[in-house]
Amino acid sequence: MKRWLFVATLVFSFVFSLSLAQTTVTWAMWGSPEEIATHQAVADAFMASHPDINIEIWSQPWGDYFTKIQTLWASGDSSVIPDVMFLSPVVNYAADGVLENLDPYIEASNYPIDDYWPGLLEFGMYDGHVYGFPRDIGLEVLYYNKDIFDEAGVDYPDETWTWDDLTAAAEKLTDVSSSGRVNRYALGMEGGKYQLWIGQNKGSILDDMRNPSRCTLADPEAMDAIKFFADMMNNNYAMRDANLGQAGGDAAVFQSGQVAMIIQNASRISAFNAAGMNYDVAVVPIPEGGQRSASAAGAAWTMSSFSDDKEAAWTFLSWLQSTDGGQAIYTSSGEILPALQSTAKSDAFMGASDTPSNRMAFITEGENAKVGRAGFFPEWNELSGSIISPALQAIWSGEATPEDALPALCESVDAFLAQNGYPK
Amino acid sequence: MSLPSQTSSRKRSSGWRPSQQNEAYLFLLPSLIGFALFVLVPIVGAFVLSFFKWNLISPAQFIGLDNYQQLLFQDAVFRKVLANTFVYAVSIVPLQLISGLIMAVALNQGIRGLELYRLIYFMPVITNIVAVAIVFQWLLNRDFGVANAWVWQLAEATGWPIAPPDWLNSSFWAKPAVIILTLWKNIGFTMVIYLAALQGVPESLYDASKVDGASGLQRFRFVTIPMVSATTFFLVVIQMIGAFQLFAEPFVMTRGGPAQASLTIVMYIYQNAFEFGRMGKATALAWILFAIIFVFTLIQTRLQRRWVHYETGD
Repeated sequence: MKRWLFVATLVFSFVFSLSLAQTTVTWAMWGSPEEIATHQAVADAFMASHPDINIEIWSQPWGDYFTKIQTLWASGDSSVIPDVMFLSPVVNYAADGVLENLDPYIEASNYPIDDYWPGLLEFGMYDGHVYGFPRDIGLEVLYYNKDIFDEAGVDYPDETWTWDDLTAAAEKLTDVSSSGRVNRYALGMEGGKYQLWIGQNKGSILDDMRNPSRCTLADPEAMDAIKFFADMMNNNYAMRDANLGQAGGDAAVFQSGQVAMIIQNASRISAFNAAGMNYDVAVVPIPEGGQRSASAAGAAWTMSSFSDDKEAAWTFLSWLQSTDGGQAIYTSSGEILPALQSTAKSDAFMGASDTPSNRMAFITEGENAKVGRAGFFPEWNELSGSIISPALQAIWSGEATPEDALPALCESVDAFLAQNGYPK
Repeated sequence: MSLPSQTSSRKRSSGWRPSQQNEAYLFLLPSLIGFALFVLVPIVGAFVLSFFKWNLISPAQFIGLDNYQQLLFQDAVFRKVLANTFVYAVSIVPLQLISGLIMAVALNQGIRGLELYRLIYFMPVITNIVAVAIVFQWLLNRDFGVANAWVWQLAEATGWPIAPPDWLNSSFWAKPAVIILTLWKNIGFTMVIYLAALQGVPESLYDASKVDGASGLQRFRFVTIPMVSATTFFLVVIQMIGAFQLFAEPFVMTRGGPAQASLTIVMYIYQNAFEFGRMGKATALAWILFAIIFVFTLIQTRLQRRWVHYETGD
């Protein structure tokens, strides 16, 4: 009798433990300790509703993340390669076959891809297939310091502002000593965001950002946009790119009052609120006859093609990218403008804090977002980092004029494209 | 016939039996394995990789000498970083030697609080370069930096149309900015080595030259400089190598900009390997850099016979 009970208990506990057997999904991302804490909260929320899947976080600082993950891929060992990964840009990795094509999963589960901001999903696509879901849209709006505007007697910016209004306001907001020393710049904007002006002026960097055949930076639309940005710097309205970086970046100089406006994404809201700044946001001014052209781009969650349990990885991935799941948690943490429009328009984003009061600016820019900030081909990093950015830096530093530098730049770009076999 | 005598002579000189030599190698084994694993294998691996096109992810593809050919004959950025690196090397090495020697001689005069000064001058050497570079960024800021503040004040007080350098935004001033930072960081090291060398210069030589009527400057020129020349040679070689491998200073302070004006060879290696996905090109660059350093060191070893004195003065 006792023995029978013992065997029964043994069998029962064996069966019970089988039914509880968990799949582990390794989830990789970069981030600061605070950001990792948010990710952990997301993982905990998922595991609470999906007890059969265990989420294990693999995180690295931004500087090490990409090299470490590349060495993991090079090992080819599926037990150490994370199943779900935060990546940017997706195209480089999708081209190498290390990412899973998500199209079949999207189709099978009716995943609502229309909920993404226009153009945004393209950032996670390669060769016509979706390989990653952008978590958020890193689009920029105009942040302005109300105290400085009041002091200079300038009206607050609104959606009617054009480049001319921006220039006129900048002239009043800039404070230059007789010696030429600038005590306050009107605008702080990273040189690397130059494409925003080009897109607004209906120009582009390359004729086709996926399969380019030529550089279009010397075309009139792009040329005028770059001239506009360069003139802002040459007139001391905008802090020069290199000086902005040296001074700690746009958020730092905005907080210290060294600039009156910056063009930045939603990630700074919590810092500015914590600092108690008197500020608001507005849509970015556009040229006469131009268009809104916020950049549809954002680091994306991807699935490894080496994953041992792709169904579990998809369950997690699709939950992560849903308004009821990860999107709302990230948005409430106050760091992102979510990738899904339904999340952005919900209270999670719109009612997250009293300041900035004009959160509609993000929605307006999002609804008009476009691709074009970066190329969707593997050699883009090299083209941008070693040819385009250095030439533009010479313009931002005031040592070259757009008229001289851009045609020469385009020759180098065209030569690079030809050398690498574009158009394909 | 000759074999036994050789063995016996070796035995006599070292006192080791052949079987004991095996034991000696056994004791050396751990460090040899370490060397092979972490130095030799990566070096050979890098050499092999330099003939491939590889982005760390997809399979490597053999392309022969393409990487070298492209770098040497087509790559405009390579020419730029090569020129930048040479400018760094020919300015940093002499400036560092001269100022290090002057400081060492000054500190060798038996002044009060000597240890304190040594500590102060050596402090930058052991300070984290990233923190230092960020502080220098602030010091050199065009409008708000300390380095420029007095020029602005002068301009405002006098009304003269003078403008201080726009350090890190100018393709001319970016290099001097990196050089100043590098000097500030490393002079202490040169100074300490020279201080040690100065201890080895016998007082009798100075006394003799004094008797011969040499002035202070002449004693420095004809006694001190020759007597520390072996140290100078050592410093020239290692600092030349260090200057060719300059990375952290421009990486943090200028990111190689503006417009690649402060980009170095090693930064370009880094960019190619980890930003552009050109591992093969990066390793080819590393081998070219090795060849450059090798040739320069060889030339210096040849030239040293003409100016380095190895007498100890005993």
